[in-house]
Amino acid sequence: MYLYLPVALTSMNILVPVGLGLAVGLLSGLFGVGGGFLLTPLLIMFGIPSTVAAATDSNQIVAASTSGTYAHWKIGNVDFKMGLFLLAGGFIGGLVGVQAIKFLRAMGDADFVIKITYVLMLGIVGGYMFLESLQSMKKKKTEEAKPKKESAVGKFLNSLPFQTHFEKSGVTHSALVPIVFGGFVGILAAVMGVGGGFLMVPVMVYILRMPMHVVVGTSLFQILFNCIEVTFLQAYTNHTVDFILAVLLLIGSTVGAQIGTVFGRKLKGDQLKIILAGIVLVVTVKMVFDLTVTPSLLLVQAGGH
Amino acid sequence: MNRLRRALQVAFMTFIISAGLLSISQGELSAQLTTAANHDRINVDFFYHGSTVDIHGISDPGTDLVIKITSGGGHHILRQKGRVGVLWMNVGTLKFDHVPSVYFLQSTKKIDDILTPEEQLKYGLGYGALASESEVASLKDQKDQVEKEKWFNEFLKYKEASKVYSVTAGKISLTRKDGGQDYYTVIDWPYQAPPGDYLVTVYAVKDKRVVEQARSKVTVEQVGVIKGLAGMARDNGAFYGFISVLVALGAGFGVGLIFRKGGGGH
Repeated sequence: MYLYLPVALTSMNILVPVGLGLAVGLLSGLFGVGGGFLLTPLLIMFGIPSTVAAATDSNQIVAASTSGTYAHWKIGNVDFKMGLFLLAGGFIGGLVGVQAIKFLRAMGDADFVIKITYVLMLGIVGGYMFLESLQSMKKKKTEEAKPKKESAVGKFLNSLPFQTHFEKSGVTHSALVPIVFGGFVGILAAVMGVGGGFLMVPVMVYILRMPMHVVVGTSLFQILFNCIEVTFLQAYTNHTVDFILAVLLLIGSTVGAQIGTVFGRKLKGDQLKIILAGIVLVVTVKMVFDLTVTPSLLLVQAGGH
Repeated sequence: MNRLRRALQVAFMTFIISAGLLSISQGELSAQLTTAANHDRINVDFFYHGSTVDIHGISDPGTDLVIKITSGGGHHILRQKGRVGVLWMNVGTLKFDHVPSVYFLQSTKKIDDILTPEEQLKYGLGYGALASESEVASLKDQKDQVEKEKWFNEFLKYKEASKVYSVTAGKISLTRKDGGQDYYTVIDWPYQAPPGDYLVTVYAVKDKRVVEQARSKVTVEQVGVIKGLAGMARDNGAFYGFISVLVALGAGFGVGLIFRKGGGGH
């Protein structure tokens, strides 16, 4: 059955957005990512204008992350204190990032910077997570009893002022650490036009040293607030949120997020990391392919990321 | 008083004659060429997935026909892809002026076989005529002729891929009847064609010249829920954004509660 989308001005088989929502919701519940880096290009591929795809994607992430945050909160996987610090940093970073994009657009280099940032960040994050998880899985078998050595970065972070304990995550950090890294992710997320979940998750795992299951719940909590802000601003300023499309997507994504949470509990932290790394690397390869192969059309719609 | 009455009579007669001439130029130019669409209003509702429009009428026997459906002229701004080193990315913005957003052309034979280039240009028939009327301007600098041709061809490829431009020949059926000629064709109306008014013009062609024209109109209009939502998104963005967020939050919590009640693993 086809439904007409009043803002995208296109018609779509309802199985497409519901199916895409289900798949992305599954990832959301499993890994704590919003899935914008996957869903927006997929929607564009199915004929949704890029500006509408990006804005509507944010709207459905609100639903998926609400569903996911709720599910994770019930099983005690959300560190609200850490989430609020990251959110504060992300908010400031987002404002800085939006100004950076304005400046780059005025210079005429925005698209180049966005694409290169996207590929580099996805490649580095995906590659690092993949190798680290692989090594960690191998090591666990042989040297489970060995105590962990504190790295130089860890020592530096511990020497910073405003140290505070994050009970749910079982870690102690300076309050500045989540704010600064949240800000860094916020800048990149604004420049790349995505929620930033796939960047925030590695920051929480490798820098904040939070347990993987708490990372997923806390990341979703943080994404929820980011996407509420983005959805409202997109609807208010650009009029690009398609309500019908968002409802179809969220029917799939809310259910997918719940299923993902259930599956996530059955997988180990390293297994989760290596699957997420694999998905990020596949997206990177696809982007590199798109950037290097001659496109069939040399003109595309203006707008979007 | 008589003078005033006479002046009014002359003005009235002039108006009647002008209106008559105007209606001839707008509608059926002769008793022979007529055109009508099976429905002149396409409603875009919740389940709209495009439509079909039947165009039919009567023409002089022995004439070829060209049917053009077009929206009003306007401009389109598109991003231009180009190579930067080994990478393909957006390298600029191109503005296409005096081009319709929708352009469908059907003819009994290939347009170049039945019309001179001058006639094509005069009536805006065929991609060649569109190219001549159009202006392609980079927002940064003017393009030369070769560049213009290249990018206009890319514009046509983009529009054809979006299903809003097409030029076809041989799909109009002709039947001799009562000393005249009935014609009939079906246009697949794509859902990608945006709401608006579309002009259907039928040209009767003889000896490589247009000899008659007839016109009708097709209106595509959003109705019901679709119209309400599109209007709210456009005119009341803050409320629309608020509702969108609220529904998403409600759906997220709702599904969470359903899964809890169903004992979904928690």
